[in-house]
Amino acid sequence: MILLQSPSRFLLQILQDRVLSGDKGVDIDCHTVEFDDVRYHIQFSMRNTKVMVLSVALPLPPPEAMLYDGLPLGAIEAIKAAYGPVVQILDPPKDGFDLTMKINLTKLPPDEEQRNAVLTQIASVREVVLGAPLKLLLKHLASKTVAPNVDKLVALVHRPNESFFVAPQADKVTVVYPMRFQDSIDIVLATSFLQEFVEARRTSALNNAPSCLWSPVPPLELKGVPSDALNANAVVFPRHVEGKKLDKTVWSLLTFHAYVSYHVKCSEGFMHTRMRRRVETLIQALDRAKSDAEKLKKLVNGGSFKRLSLKNDGN
Amino acid sequence: MANTLRLYLTCIRNTLEAAMCLQNFPCQEVERHNKPEVELKTSPELLLNPVLICRNEAEKCLIETSINSIRISMKVKQADELENILAKKFLRFLSMRAEAFQVLRRKPVQGYDISFLITNYHCEDMHKHKLIDFIVQFMEDIDKEISELKLSVNTRGRLVATEFLKQFI
Repeated sequence: MILLQSPSRFLLQILQDRVLSGDKGVDIDCHTVEFDDVRYHIQFSMRNTKVMVLSVALPLPPPEAMLYDGLPLGAIEAIKAAYGPVVQILDPPKDGFDLTMKINLTKLPPDEEQRNAVLTQIASVREVVLGAPLKLLLKHLASKTVAPNVDKLVALVHRPNESFFVAPQADKVTVVYPMRFQDSIDIVLATSFLQEFVEARRTSALNNAPSCLWSPVPPLELKGVPSDALNANAVVFPRHVEGKKLDKTVWSLLTFHAYVSYHVKCSEGFMHTRMRRRVETLIQALDRAKSDAEKLKKLVNGGSFKRLSLKNDGN
Repeated sequence: MANTLRLYLTCIRNTLEAAMCLQNFPCQEVERHNKPEVELKTSPELLLNPVLICRNEAEKCLIETSINSIRISMKVKQADELENILAKKFLRFLSMRAEAFQVLRRKPVQGYDISFLITNYHCEDMHKHKLIDFIVQFMEDIDKEISELKLSVNTRGRLVATEFLKQFI
């Protein structure tokens, strides 16, 4: 898996099982966590086997991110638009969660293909909720306007206590990701990965992709925002958000940080496996150096002990 | 490039062959003790002149000899930050497994990345020429491993970036 998938596999599996299982249902009450600290709470009750109550907790927002009632801008509208009559939002949400939805499985479309599409959409609820403000901004980009009553710089939450910044303009949108890594090795690996982003963009096949840059100092757009991290930024043009591409672009931009750090960790794991193997071959090389005489001595001793032992003699 | 590496390693091999004539030698100060003299450096008459072999400023090998032990320290090439991290990580991996290596010193001599300590007992247990083979192979492998790791990190980075950017097209 190179790219991160937006539907939660766990959620999708539960939904599909429930839809296929027919009338008989059991109580389900479980929690699950996804990357970037998105938590789900899934509940089915015996009484009403076709209604699922799904609560979602979003990553803890930093102070600069703008939220309305604990949800990103436009999230409620986005949910209504995406799911229609299947989903009903419960207000207020459950304690400890940011959003609680009631999903009525009887209202799913009868056609299997359509039904699966809706289920997948429900499983990607994090994309709908967290991506709502970004989608709003990019929609305006597609029509080459700037959204009204939006600041010059919008902070959007994507990780616990961390946000990325979007600077919308009529003809382009700049997205800036401050990336902080705890480990010095992570920093070095991430730096080389970001460099590869810049270089991959230069190849002719990817000429139309958003331009990427990175620097250890925050770019001009971020003036006034305290930052001590690597800053990656991407410039999105209207051609990236035309028609069907919009959803994909929103998800990719939303999970850029997670994507990079996931691959940094993967390559570290790969390095460890490799080093372990190399150490083993070196130990073998050293073992070859041990003198044959010593090995021979052990062999002879072992053999002769057996033959001359009293027990064998007595028998 | 490969040629200078060959010369460098041959030089180390020849020096080691000459230097590695160790004999049992009990400690002069404390009775019934037997210590590697190259570590203690208590009596100058038991030490020989150290030999420093340099390929360039970043890569060098120091061979210190005494009557009953020899210490080999090396500095590995670290051209950029990524190589530096990779080398550090790899050498830490080795130091943590020092007991499996027997001749590896747990802590490198100051100013170097990794050190070996070979005593006369090691020479008795193992074939001398094979021990030298091991040291030389080790140096070769470490260079190779680090450059391969670096390459694989970069290849992965490129693949990751390309896949990500492809989504926008």
